[in-house]
Amino acid sequence: MVLFNHAANQLFPIEIFKGGNMFKKTLIVFILIVSFVVTAEEDKGRITAEEIIKTATETLNPEQSKAVVEMTIITSGGEERTFVYKSYSKKSGEKSLMKYLEPGRVKNQSVLMLNNADDIWMYFPRTNRVRKLATHAKRQKVQGGDFSYEDLGSSNEFIEDYNSVLIGEEEKEGKLCYKLELTAKEDSNAGYSRLIVWVEKENYVPVSIKYFHEKDRELLEKELILRDVKTVDGIPTPMEMTMYNRLDDTKTSMRFKELNYDVDLPDNLFTEMGMKR
Amino acid sequence: MRVRTFFLTFVMGGILAISDLTAEELDIFGYFEPQYMLLYREGDSYQLNSNKIRVDLQSYVSNVEFGADLIYNLYYGKRSWNMLDFFPAGISDEIPPEMRSYFRYTFNDTLYLDNVYVRMSNSRIACTFGKQQISPGTGYFSNPVDVFNLKDVLDPTYEQTGHNGARLDVMLSGRTKMMFFYSPIAGAWKGSGKLIRFKAGLGHFDFTLTGYEFRDELTDVYSLLVKNERRRLLGFEFVGELLGLGVWGEGAYNLMEISDDFYEFLVGTDYTFESGFYFLLEYHRNERGKTNYEDYNINDWLRFYLGETKTICRDQMYGMLRYPLTDLMNLQLMTVFSVSDGSAAFVPVIDYNIFQNVDLSIMGNIYTGSEGKVYNSELGNGVIIRGRVYF
Repeated sequence: MVLFNHAANQLFPIEIFKGGNMFKKTLIVFILIVSFVVTAEEDKGRITAEEIIKTATETLNPEQSKAVVEMTIITSGGEERTFVYKSYSKKSGEKSLMKYLEPGRVKNQSVLMLNNADDIWMYFPRTNRVRKLATHAKRQKVQGGDFSYEDLGSSNEFIEDYNSVLIGEEEKEGKLCYKLELTAKEDSNAGYSRLIVWVEKENYVPVSIKYFHEKDRELLEKELILRDVKTVDGIPTPMEMTMYNRLDDTKTSMRFKELNYDVDLPDNLFTEMGMKR
Repeated sequence: MRVRTFFLTFVMGGILAISDLTAEELDIFGYFEPQYMLLYREGDSYQLNSNKIRVDLQSYVSNVEFGADLIYNLYYGKRSWNMLDFFPAGISDEIPPEMRSYFRYTFNDTLYLDNVYVRMSNSRIACTFGKQQISPGTGYFSNPVDVFNLKDVLDPTYEQTGHNGARLDVMLSGRTKMMFFYSPIAGAWKGSGKLIRFKAGLGHFDFTLTGYEFRDELTDVYSLLVKNERRRLLGFEFVGELLGLGVWGEGAYNLMEISDDFYEFLVGTDYTFESGFYFLLEYHRNERGKTNYEDYNINDWLRFYLGETKTICRDQMYGMLRYPLTDLMNLQLMTVFSVSDGSAAFVPVIDYNIFQNVDLSIMGNIYTGSEGKVYNSELGNGVIIRGRVYF
């Protein structure tokens, strides 16, 4: 009871009750109580930025997946290069393996990424050599395209490396979206200073992401557009992603040629031996 | 011709031995590589050119993989060379005229199976039999623990030929692995190569221990004999990162049956900047090498050119700078510097992916040392233009 009185005093400043008639006092108390209850109900229905990012990350990174991906790079000079690779992922993207099928110059090369791409190994079949790459290699372009290894292999970076704030709702690419700003945490290895992310309200699939330069918060470096959402094994999935490099005027598209989530991948696929098989 | 027929029969026999393969199960790919090499030396220019074709065959039937690649090299231009022309004058003068022909070398057209193997594997164990790639070591320019391959420090990533043997790989856990390799190169078990490797991952590092016993060969000009003795190599490798830099290293201690034991090690680091600019630096010490270039003798030079020793000098540094000029073109500068004698070689390289399956590389060789040193300017300066068309 003492506690209750203390709380009431905090909520309703005591000056209100000094002087005036009883009716006024009752009316003010009533209005305050009603607004308190309505606000609490609204808060209950409002989703937080962290929840949106978490759900979007989970939607984009199902527990397991197996895919064949076609990656097309278009250079600033308009030249086009196409790569096809098999992709496997497990533990919601914590482990991933890419094996190149085409073109001939990279055929059978593979890239293993563990711990959300904190550890990367590359396999070169012509020498049967497996080489571990350091973290700085995460920034390297995958086959000269606009995706870095960090972009492809890090499934939890939005949660681990960035603080997120919901800054509004707006239409993007013809879809009603949550608009969020993600700012790099001070102690993280994030490759960008901040991100603006649009997540479709209906299904929590990201529609677009703007990546701002690591050193300049206002310099737009890349923009990712995700299109053609289809339901695969019950999960809404953008079947095509295009990364535009706004500094170099290049773009790289990735399209799923095959995709399955309902798979049971063995752990030893994500090992040195798995890279070679 | 008989050799060629034998090889082709062997390859096809290997394919058919696995099962009744359909066209879909047998993958055929490879490349055609024309190469032009120009050398400017002592006021004259020379050229040695080649056309190489590599055809890879690969088939997977259940847990069995068959792989082979056939290489045909056609040479033209100046095909005959004398190794003595590349020795310092004071050294080559020691060779009596009647022996000079022993140092002649001709690039003959060759057809050979670079690799041919069958691999049977399940989720934890893989057995590989045949001629196969073995590439131990974490170094980029050189590998003290690798006694199978001889890297050209001026072209270190060029593919190496396979090695005959039986290999067993056992995955003990996600990042822990054992490897055994038996190479029956001698007529008996005693002289053949026996390799064991243990690899484990710890944090952001991979560590490997190596033990290898084999017969070591050293040519001796004075006795005109190839000395042969047992060599036991104990090796250690690591690769990982420290303070954001990539770091690696490898060391080998060699226990020799007759001659003096020796050690060799290499340490390296690399980093990629935001702009894509990449640098790599390695330091290499080979106790078999000499600290004073005036002590290099004819045996040292010969063993160096034959690949019996990795370096002629004791300490070397390697460096590489690479910058992506465009998404399809890289500019690179490699350098090899002999700390022991102060000579250096520079290799500027342009790599360009002209079309989807066509690469072009232009490499220069510039030697700066004075006569008698390992990278002396008397070796001449050159350019290699190499195209590669993949199919």
